[in-house]
Order: sequence, then structure tokens, then C-alpha cells
Amino acid sequence: MYDNRASESAVTADDIKIEAKGVNVHYGTTHAIKDVDVSILDKTVTAFIGPSGCGKSTFLRCINRMNDTIDVARVTGDIRIDGEDINDARVDPVQLRAKVGMVFQKPNPFPKSIYDNVAYGPKIHGLAKNKGDLDDIVERALRRGAIWDEVKDRLHAPGTGLSGGQQQRLCIARAVATEPEVLLMDEPCSALDPIATGQVEELIDELRRDYSVVIVTHSMQQAARVSQKTAFFHLGNLIEYGDTDEIFTNPKDPKTESYITGRIG
Amino acid sequence: MTDATQIPSSGAARPAGKSIITTDDRTKKRNAAEKRFRMYGIAAILAGIACLVVLLGSILMNGASAFQQTFIQVPVYLNPEAVDPNGNRDPEEMGSATTFTYKPIVVDAMAALVEERGIETEIDPGDMDALFSAAAVAQVRDRVLANPELVGETVTFNILASSRVDGYLKERVSRDSVARDSNIDAGHLDIVDELRAEGDVVKRFNWDFIFGADASESRPEQAGMGVAMLGSFFMMLVVLGLSLPIGVAASIYLEEFAPQNRLTDIIEVNISNLAAVPSIVFGILGLAVFIQFMEFPQSAPLVGGLVLTLMTLPTIIISTRAALKSVPPSIRDAALGVGASKMQSVFHHVLPLAMPGILTGTIIGLAQALGETAPLLLIGMVGYIATNYPDGVASGFLDPNSAMPAQIYEWAKRADPAYYERAWGGIIILLVFLFAMNAIAILLRRKFERRW
Repeated sequence: MYDNRASESAVTADDIKIEAKGVNVHYGTTHAIKDVDVSILDKTVTAFIGPSGCGKSTFLRCINRMNDTIDVARVTGDIRIDGEDINDARVDPVQLRAKVGMVFQKPNPFPKSIYDNVAYGPKIHGLAKNKGDLDDIVERALRRGAIWDEVKDRLHAPGTGLSGGQQQRLCIARAVATEPEVLLMDEPCSALDPIATGQVEELIDELRRDYSVVIVTHSMQQAARVSQKTAFFHLGNLIEYGDTDEIFTNPKDPKTESYITGRIG
Repeated sequence: MTDATQIPSSGAARPAGKSIITTDDRTKKRNAAEKRFRMYGIAAILAGIACLVVLLGSILMNGASAFQQTFIQVPVYLNPEAVDPNGNRDPEEMGSATTFTYKPIVVDAMAALVEERGIETEIDPGDMDALFSAAAVAQVRDRVLANPELVGETVTFNILASSRVDGYLKERVSRDSVARDSNIDAGHLDIVDELRAEGDVVKRFNWDFIFGADASESRPEQAGMGVAMLGSFFMMLVVLGLSLPIGVAASIYLEEFAPQNRLTDIIEVNISNLAAVPSIVFGILGLAVFIQFMEFPQSAPLVGGLVLTLMTLPTIIISTRAALKSVPPSIRDAALGVGASKMQSVFHHVLPLAMPGILTGTIIGLAQALGETAPLLLIGMVGYIATNYPDGVASGFLDPNSAMPAQIYEWAKRADPAYYERAWGGIIILLVFLFAMNAIAILLRRKFERRW
């Protein structure tokens, strides 16, 4: 099923989950992503780093086709998940997004109860046959989101009443409730305090066991802490991609070096 | 970026230390300007409140009396020879006795009452009809036809006083004005004074003004808002039933689904323009399209409702779109992110959040439509609706009817000053409806607003 390219890829890893080739994104007249090739592994945390406006979030949104919702955005190129082209005309973005969950920069729980927040995805995808099933799914998701102990007594309280860090973990629980295979995180900690950030980072490390996690982050320390692979974007180009240790200790490209030493960005 | 930039040292010497306790001229000026601005604001608000007080005060002062009506308690002997010449108490045969038959009976009863109270008067007993309304006779006849067993007995009726007598009790008619009035003499007023002292002439709350039908130009004492209220009610049903679904569907499509291109821009601009089109234009459109081309009945609440729907739609679309726009995009992202389809994200998440705004906009639009008069003039929903309430009431969407504001306009233009009071009274009723609708809007907003 896998492409030949997979074996040619510089990445020496087990399973390639997402394979992007020649991806270009235009916002109107702006060329936001320029010819990006990248292979993202299963059961790995991959960090996208780079200065603001370098296109890392845009690229992330290509992977579950969230750019479809922006009228002026035009995506070209080839992105495959498990060898299947996600931009194929036969692909329903709804099915794709059930497979590729997403957590956003700002915690955005629905203005509903904690339970309903988590149960919504499984409900619309028909994952639960009955109420008991749904309860199990919700509990499992909240446990995976490392928030179960804090909310188990108030599942029917509004999700927006939680603290910022709790809200973000609720959003992660909501994302994993639909049993995705890939989890995209767009700067999930940028609105959180250091303690909540620590909790979410721990959680990301946990999630690696089952998912391919792609995280966009502004914080190089965070990338170094949580990821095994790092991609450095600059002005829409993917400058360097490799093992996180390698990128931070021995970057090949001078631009990468400038960025991680704090001279650009 | 890495070069440290030199901060130039200020050339001039720093002025000698100023105290922060003494205010300097600049600060004084600024404070004065601030104070002035506050005064302007307060003055504007006070002016607004004063206008409102004057408006409501004058409406209440002029209109409150319309809710009271003068009645005369008269024992009427229902002469069987006149009302039931066949003597079989069959309501159908008794129906052949018209109000012409009944009028002398009531006149006689009136004269008998005057005599019984020992009132000396130069008024001819036959001229007693100036005291009571022409409607009173019909009132007596209706009651007799409904209860034939009353025939032959003396029954005490509360009959409507004539508008002149009513006006005399409300101080609209004076002895000076009566001198120039061919309908009533000063002698009648003397009788009224005496009967009032005896408690036979009383002012009471007049439910018929709220629930009754309009009356002809010569019988202002009988006129009521009820039928016009029904007309307005039917129109509002049409407006609500059409404009809410159409408006909300159009807004959702334009806001959430439609591609952003020249065509949607044009549609958007035109909707905004339509909201500013004078209502009479919609009236003439309704006349041309609904009545002349589609041949819907004239004066029907259905047509009025259609015209008002056209008028209300832009308001509803604009407010609904604003409500949808105010829902944070992160909610849409969240829904799409867990794999909801566009429609699921709109109907499960966006629409419930936009609901308070949509409902408020809709009710404000309805309230606007309820008070609209101009388009109704053109489709014939203004005028005297001849109907005896509650029988033969204009009960459907296709029966000729009027509407509350049109009824007020109709009363205001009639010559009899007694109608002037009723026009103001009608405005009170209309305002009560508008206040009630706004209150409902606020309550619904509170109910649907999510505080989390």
C-alpha cells in the first residue's frame, strides 16, 4: 500500500502515517506553503516549529482539510494518509476529520455540558449503540484526556466553566473520543499557564502510544520536550526535517540554526 | 536586530519638578471639557426622557377616557303586541320586528324613567332618543331575540348612552357646544344631570372598546378595536409563518454556505437597500402583484400579511445574519474538527447560539409590521368593517378586515370629536401590544442566552 517514496524518505522509521508531496497553499495571491514534502510517522510526536506566519499552522490544516472552509484558500499537491489521497474527489472531508482529530490553539469547548462535549463526536459518527456505550466512550475519552478525575462528579456542568487548562484537555478528550488515528494540535498550549502546559505535554506523550500526533508550537523548548521528530518551517518552506535531537543539537541548515539559537523569529 | 540602538539623550534640560498637587492649565482645560461633555450627555438623556413623558402623558390623557363609556339603566317594558305580534315567542318570526319597532319601546321606557324620577322637562317624550345610542335599540332587540321568554316583562337594560351624553360626562360636550348642536338640547343635559344624581346614568369600563367591532360614523359610542385586532392577529400569523422560516433559511444560506462572490455581494447590498425602502412602496407592490395580478381578495389579512412579510424579511435577514456572525468561528472549527458536516455544525452549534439574536430580530420585525399603516392603505385594509361582533365577525384570512393602526388612522380622520378620543385609546391598545412583544423578546433572549 505504501508508496515507493516512503522507503526513499530520509526518515528511518517504522510506519509512515502521513505522506505529503509537493504541497502548495495559496491564500488569494499569497503563496503560504511552498512545495512541502514531509513524511509523518505513526505513534510519534512530530513538532512543526518556525517563526510566526511561516505556514506551519496552514500546513497542519491541510492534513484534515480544514482549509476547505476558507474560501480563498487553494491547496495543491499530494497528501496521503495510509496511502490514500485525502484530496481525492471521493473523499468526504467529514470521514477524513473523524480519522484525523484536531485540537485548536484556543480551547473551544461547545457551550454544552462536559459530557455532551465529548459525546457529540461519537454521536454524530454513530459510534455508540446505546446510552451505556456512550457513557463508556465518554469516560474512556476523558480518562485519555487526563481530566476524568477532575470532572467525573460534574459531567453535566458546562464545559466552558472549566479552567483554561482543563478546557484544553477537555478538547483533547473530545478529539480522541471519535477514535482518530492522527491527532493534529495547533499550538495547544499557547493560551495556557506553565502548570497546565505541563499537564497537556504529559498527556501528549501519553497519546503517542496510540496516535500519530502532529503539534504546531511556538516554543522550541516544548518541541524539544515532547517530540521525536521536528520540522522547521520558514516563509512557507520546509527548511529542515529530522529527529528532534538532531535538529536541536546539530542542525544542518544555517536558517534552522539561526532560529533555534534565537537569531531569527 | 542584534545591534543595540543608541537612545539619544534629550537635549533640553528637564523642566524643574512640577507638583502633581496643583493642577496645571492643560489639565484644567481637559477636565472642563470632560465635564462639559458629560453635561451634554445628561442633557440629551433628560430631553429624551421629557419627550417620552410628554408623549406617553398626552396619549394617556387623551386616550384613557375611551376605555370608559356612559350607560343608562332603563327598565324597559317589552310590549308583546309590538315585538311578538304573532304571540308564539318564535325567535325566527320575532326577527321580522326590526329596530324601527323597538325604537319607540326604548323611547317610551326612557320617557317613563324620566317621569318616574319626577324630572320636570320641556323635552318632548318623543325626543328622548337623543339620550341613547342608536346601538342601544339593537342591543335590546338582540337580547329579546336571544331570550324570547322576556317578552311581556319589564327588564332593566344597561343601554349605551349617545355620544353627546357620553361626551357630557367626559366634559367633551359643554352647554355652550350644545347650543350649536342639533342632535341634543340643553334640556337633555338637565335630564342627564338628574338621572346621574339618581345613579341611573353611570360611567363604566367599556370592554366593547377593546373587543367590539368598529361602528358607523354616526355612532362613535359603539366603536371598538376588536375586529381590527383580529385582522392584525391574522396578519401577524401570516408574517410570522412566512418571514421567520424564509428569513432564517436565507440568512443561514448566505452566511454559512454561500460562496463569497460578486453575486452574493449584490444580494447583500440589495437586502440592506430593501430594509430602507419606504413601506408605501411595498403597499403598491402588493396592490399590483397580489391583488391585481394574482387576484387575491382585497382588504384581506392574507394580502396584508404578504405585504408585511416582504417588508419584514430584510429586517429579519439582517438581524439573523448579525446573530450568526457573532457566533465565534472557533465553535464552527470545533464542530468541523470532530467531523461534523457543515450542516450539523450549523444546526447543532451555531444556530442555538444565534437563537436569542434571531428571536429578538424577528419580534422587533413583527412589532414593526404590527404598527405599519401605509401599505395597508393601498390594499384596502382600512375602513369601516361592517360586522356584528361576535356573529359575522371577520374571522378568516380571506375576509375583509382592518388592522389596528389602520383603524386608528380611520378614527382619527372621522369628523366627530368623539372619534378623536377613540383614536387615542386605540393607540394605547397598540402600544400595549408593542410593549408586550418587546417584553416577550427580552424574556426569550434571557431564556435562550447561555451564560456559559
